[in-house]
Amino acid sequence: MKRVWLVVLLSICAGACGSDDPERLVVSAASSMTEALEKCAPRFGDADDAEVRLSFAGSDELAAQIRQGAKVDVYAAANTRLPDELHADDLLTQPVEFATNEFVLAVPKDSDIDSIEDLTRERTPLVVGSESVPIGAYTRETLARLPSDQEKAILANVRSNEPDVKGIVGKLTQGAADAGFVYMTDATAAGGALKAIELPAKLQPQVTYGAGVVSKADQPKLAQRFVEGLTDGDCAGALEDAGFGPAP
Amino acid sequence: MTRRAWFSALLVVCLAAALTFLTLPVVAIFVDSTPGDLIASLGEPGALDALWLSLKATAASIAIILVVGTPAAYLLATRSFPGRAIVVTLIELPLVLPPAVAGIALLASVGPSGVLGGAIDAAGIELSFATAGVVVALTFVASPFYVRQAVAAFAAVDRSLLDASRTLGASEAHAFLRIMIPVALPGLAAGTALALGRALGEFGATLMFAGSFQGITQTVPLAIYDRFSTDFDSALALSAVLVAVSAAILLSVKLVRGGEALGIAPR
Amino acid sequence: MLRVEARHQLGELLLDVELAVKRGECLALAGPSGAGKTSLLRVAAGLLRPEQGRVDANWETWLDTERGIDVPAEQRRCGYVFQHYALFPHLSAWQNVAYPLRGLTRQERLARATELLERFGLAERADARPHTLSGGERQRVAVARALARGPEVLLLDEPLSALDARTRAVAARELGGVLRESEAPTVLVTHDFAEAAQLGDRVGIIDNGRVVQLGTPSELAATPRSAFVADFTGAVVLTGVARTAPSGATRVELDGGGTVTSTDAAEGLVAVSVYPWEIAIEPAGEAPHGSAENRLSAEVVSITTVGNRVRLGLAGPQPLVAEVTVASVERLGLNPGAQVVATWQAAATRLVSV
Repeated sequence: MKRVWLVVLLSICAGACGSDDPERLVVSAASSMTEALEKCAPRFGDADDAEVRLSFAGSDELAAQIRQGAKVDVYAAANTRLPDELHADDLLTQPVEFATNEFVLAVPKDSDIDSIEDLTRERTPLVVGSESVPIGAYTRETLARLPSDQEKAILANVRSNEPDVKGIVGKLTQGAADAGFVYMTDATAAGGALKAIELPAKLQPQVTYGAGVVSKADQPKLAQRFVEGLTDGDCAGALEDAGFGPAP
Repeated sequence: MTRRAWFSALLVVCLAAALTFLTLPVVAIFVDSTPGDLIASLGEPGALDALWLSLKATAASIAIILVVGTPAAYLLATRSFPGRAIVVTLIELPLVLPPAVAGIALLASVGPSGVLGGAIDAAGIELSFATAGVVVALTFVASPFYVRQAVAAFAAVDRSLLDASRTLGASEAHAFLRIMIPVALPGLAAGTALALGRALGEFGATLMFAGSFQGITQTVPLAIYDRFSTDFDSALALSAVLVAVSAAILLSVKLVRGGEALGIAPR
Repeated sequence: MLRVEARHQLGELLLDVELAVKRGECLALAGPSGAGKTSLLRVAAGLLRPEQGRVDANWETWLDTERGIDVPAEQRRCGYVFQHYALFPHLSAWQNVAYPLRGLTRQERLARATELLERFGLAERADARPHTLSGGERQRVAVARALARGPEVLLLDEPLSALDARTRAVAARELGGVLRESEAPTVLVTHDFAEAAQLGDRVGIIDNGRVVQLGTPSELAATPRSAFVADFTGAVVLTGVARTAPSGATRVELDGGGTVTSTDAAEGLVAVSVYPWEIAIEPAGEAPHGSAENRLSAEVVSITTVGNRVRLGLAGPQPLVAEVTVASVERLGLNPGAQVVATWQAAATRLVSV
């Protein structure tokens, strides 16, 4: 019985007082960066003797978590508005713009849709992001640039407001929807299942990704190095490989 | 004597910890905002739509579960047949499936690209992005909660009651409706409450299978998720409603079970 | 007329019974638990299908395994009273009684049920739920329910065993009255011979799946065909070796010592049976008096009062039980440890070869 107590105590100690453990970096990133960061984060960790914990979700959800006091070191969003808002509330240090992405219309690969006007046709199930998530905001921004009757017709076809871009991709690859607005990087990441239709330049929103070090970060120095790596380092390379554009 | 006092103290500490952990989040929902704010947030159309949709979809799925699940449970409880153990395990399977897995399972079976997707489409039935899809998801995750309890409830009914019913000239169907169900009612009510709670709270499978659209597929849990990053008060208000409804369900089950303590099921 | 034949393997037990009961008659089957009594009732009711069997009730064939006839239980007009009554807990007394009544309006069913409950003295309890009724009341509801639609056949499974001793006496009298009134052939099973004797016109002793003796209660008591029957009917059973005496009577050397005489004829190993109420007690040391030939010395080890009688447990070379009046116990000043002589007549001594 005594031996059991000893083992319990030791393991608690080992868990709590691990001064020899590698440092841990917690990164909250928009889900469109999933594939890219999952490749480069372990390499960053190895190089800096750190363990990188990645958390992907809609950028708005991640911002809300930080507001609620979540212990995050780095915040990387799919727009600049959310990081700027956090910075204005002293929750994030000065954010940097580290990448751009292209906002596209994605359809199943054998679809006969080839332009945004085709979305005005009746019975064309469309999936978009919810209003509060960046992809949803970009979508509404783009549709607002269309003539109002086209905008109305397209919005009438919306069948689901997904909380993050992966949900949109899922509905497309499942064959549930005929079209959806996603990032180019997501269309590419879906293998050959999806076809990305580029939008006319006048419709395209400026999709700029912003990132910063969270004010109450446990690992500010390490976080700073990670953020720098997003613009000019291993992760920048991974983002480029995935199809992201360079910082503006 | 000291040993006993130590042990009692430990028990009290554990209970206090458990109680605090479980009640604090619930209490916090009501403490964080004024009642006025909560009621105001409930008034906005998205919230009302979500509440009404949750109510409709849950009611529909519970109805299906009761109508199909009750006779099925009766069969499982009263007859033995080869392979019975396997059937029971299969029925209980969704119980241990994580909701995300349930979503995948539904997509793979009755989703548009699923095994039966083509047939469903040909029959003109729409499940994706439709309330019917929500009902399918809720029924799938909630039915094992009911069926399991129902099987136990039926199995606990004294067999001599059924024998008596037969000797008194009643057909098995008559005995099922007039004897089995009333006598097993407390157990059936408990099962219904569990299924109801599960269906009301269902999130992952619904989102993956049916999507999220106000008034059509955005149930209360999905609405809470949609709002929490931008309108926390609204999320709180919806959560408070769900807590109140869940508490009401629990309470009514206790009342029905109260009849069990007297050895009878209330009429 | 009810005729039941059944052959059926029940685990280790082989049930092999044939019986016939006339209209208006009650056949009581008495035997130890596990003897197959309840299974036999279930065969008659259609709740158990035997490997081979036949059940004829009045003019209908309910079961004939040879011809593939098996009328389902719900179509046999049986009144079955279960050992623990099986009253429906969520229905009131009158609703329980009215359950088998089909094709009548609610008013009609209520009227008929109330009529029956009145006959059983339960009219004021008509709306009560079973859990609020006493054991005796529940038993009466169960019987009323079984009789509600005038069954062809009445089957009772230990109808009194769930009652306490005091209620049982009253219930037995009432039930006896009901059975005498009823025209339906009745089979009643019990583990208590006295109950069988009181309620049955004929009694069958059933052991290990077979009926070992069938007859009126007095026939069984007077001429038990086996030691089991004798023992079961409540006799004292002694073992010994019998030899015909020159006088023509039979003399039995009892195991452990002592001799008894019997007017029955037998040779060799025998079981000697005599009923406790035929045994008289004399204080030890007195000169023998009276015509009772059999005398055995014994010591009183237990005194148990049962109603207005006293059962004396006696220890001799073999154990004995005597039943005497309370007055006798006082008069003789009997206490545990007292030395007495148990006496009884040779004519009351039954012998059964073993």
